[in-house]
Amino acid sequence: MALVLSSCTPSAPDTAVHMGLAQAPVNLDPRMATDAASARVNRLLYQALVRFDAHARPQPALADWQQLAADHYRFHLLKPVPRFHDGSAMTAHDVVATYQSMLKPGASPLAAEFSHIRKVWAMDDDTIDFTLDAADPEFPARLIIGILPAHLIAAGHDFSRQPVGSGPLAFVRWRGPLVLQRQSDGQRYVLEEVKDPTVRVLKLVRGEIDLLAGDLPPELLVYLQTQPALKVEHTQGANFSYLGFNLQDPLLANPKVRQAIAHAIDRPAIVRLALVPDSRLAGAILPPEHWAGNASLTPYAHDPQLARQLLQEAGVHLPLTLVYKTSTDAQRVRLATILQAQMREAGIDLQIRSLDWGTFFDDIRQGHFQMYSLNWVGIRTPDIYRLAFHSASVPPLGANRGRLQDAELDALIDQRDWPAATQRIHALLPYVPLWYEGQFVAMRRGLYHYTLAADGNWDGLITVTRNSKNDHAD
Amino acid sequence: MKQLPALVILFWLAAVMLAAVVDLQPDHIHLEYILAAADHHAWLGYDDLGRNILARLLSGAGVSLLVVSAVTLITLSIGTVLGLLAGFYGGWLDRLLMRITDIFLAFPGMLLAIAFAAVLGPGLNNLLLALCMTSWVGYARLTRAQALSLRQRQHVQASEALGASPWRLMRHHMLPLLAAPLVVEATYSMAGLVIAEASLSFLGLGVQAPQASWGSMLRDGVRYLLVAPHYVLATGISLMSLVLAINLLGDRLRDHWDVKRA
Repeated sequence: MALVLSSCTPSAPDTAVHMGLAQAPVNLDPRMATDAASARVNRLLYQALVRFDAHARPQPALADWQQLAADHYRFHLLKPVPRFHDGSAMTAHDVVATYQSMLKPGASPLAAEFSHIRKVWAMDDDTIDFTLDAADPEFPARLIIGILPAHLIAAGHDFSRQPVGSGPLAFVRWRGPLVLQRQSDGQRYVLEEVKDPTVRVLKLVRGEIDLLAGDLPPELLVYLQTQPALKVEHTQGANFSYLGFNLQDPLLANPKVRQAIAHAIDRPAIVRLALVPDSRLAGAILPPEHWAGNASLTPYAHDPQLARQLLQEAGVHLPLTLVYKTSTDAQRVRLATILQAQMREAGIDLQIRSLDWGTFFDDIRQGHFQMYSLNWVGIRTPDIYRLAFHSASVPPLGANRGRLQDAELDALIDQRDWPAATQRIHALLPYVPLWYEGQFVAMRRGLYHYTLAADGNWDGLITVTRNSKNDHAD
Repeated sequence: MKQLPALVILFWLAAVMLAAVVDLQPDHIHLEYILAAADHHAWLGYDDLGRNILARLLSGAGVSLLVVSAVTLITLSIGTVLGLLAGFYGGWLDRLLMRITDIFLAFPGMLLAIAFAAVLGPGLNNLLLALCMTSWVGYARLTRAQALSLRQRQHVQASEALGASPWRLMRHHMLPLLAAPLVVEATYSMAGLVIAEASLSFLGLGVQAPQASWGSMLRDGVRYLLVAPHYVLATGISLMSLVLAINLLGDRLRDHWDVKRA
């Protein structure tokens, strides 16, 4: 009888914050995670040695550092040193164990970032030394891997499904939705995957989820803005969209053809009419507010007549037929169709090939393309210019997918002269820089203090608070 | 009312011919009109790239009817020939051809078409190929079953006794009697092909952007169901009207020719 009665009693109100994700995280081991959702959750679960300020300069997080020599760095853990979620205290040995476990061949897909570490060791419980094979002034900016407990690494613990970190949020369980808990006040979070954007929006409107961040067509964002129970916040983003060329293609090797394509695209119209609010035109991979950004680059203006003239000067017979590869993502195909229509005005017949992600990315890495479009997400260091444009970075050694070979640019990158390097890249045009898409969050009115990040991370969950009275009033 | 299915099919045929003659600019993009409601330029409104939905529906109907006609013609020919040979000659040829059709029948047709389209890659030609590879089986089974029965008919045996060649027996004495059930089967198959073409395009395995296809229009329309229901409704109703009309016409033909009793 008591059991029957208890089952009829209303259950306690669910105070957890439910977040709808377009894509669930795959791997919660920070040494292994390569997808955006996993990286964003891992930022909440773990702490790293360094963090970045608003201009993407590395700042001390867990540790401060000093450069003892061009190839020798010493890190000191800051007091108070945090504890892991299993109760053990963090020491320099945990940092050493984390990075040593990544240096073994094949141990981590992120190991290339650390391949030049010759040795890492603990001087004492609070001090870690790194020596390198070559000088690397950007080295501290690479140390953004979450620190794991050494005793669990030694025990072969499965961090990918049972993460144990020291971050502001602790892991609770992961059966279906991922459940996390804020360390400071016990606030719970339920992160559930809802792939379809319309279903995600409907769940938010009905109150089945409390917030969602990014990954919606702009029209659905406008719909959310009209819902009285919801509020939408947006800010400028830093994730770079670009149109890439294969410079080994006989047509696209001609700079006039690349310039013609750049002039054929009406980027301001796309940004204004087909992207989410706060999207802005891009000039280089790193945005102007980045310490290595370059705000002085002159954009390629939309001018179909000039584009035709450049093509004629290049000796191309119009219409020029080019193949453009993209994924099957609906928003990507939509943007490809817009580019196709705009280029038609300039005498370019763009043939769209929409391929599944695996085939598409494999083609891009192997150089089987004429043109393609992709994003650079979460880029923090100007080393991206070496990775994407240096002659020595042709895949599989790097991400110079367009096979750009330019000795002058190589020298500028080697000298770390970023203003000159970005200027040179802008002139060579291996990419047409498109835009930095805006970031947004949509949440129920009972939620407060979610801070948006330019790279779309979910750090806002650390500060978000729920006013349950207002929420129920909704 | 009895003529409604035929009228609907005639309407779509006329629309396709109109779209072929008049340049309706189905791919012309107006970003300012993204998902805008109907006006005097676009009677059914605008899609997610500001294109005229009516113009794209007519253009998509052309793709659907092209696929349906081409696949039906090819598969009807292949299936009929194979079924007739199997039913007429019997023996090892019959067993071989029927084992092959059994293998194709063992997989759901749509799943097999998706697998073929995925392996061959997206595009109209590959879409046609994928549908052809899976759609001939029904005709082959039907023709073979009918041929087994027709082979025993007295007029066929009399003609054979008089020295008629196998070709003459099949061409003049069996094929004309197969026509009615095959046409009815083709009608039902055509309705299935409209759905199959739309399904493959819905999955991104059909015609490529910017070419209009009802399947890809449905896929895009569903994404904007909350903000522009006119888009998905216009496409869905068009698809339903054509499929329903073809099915009703098939029923009418079956009743008219009394295929079951034949």
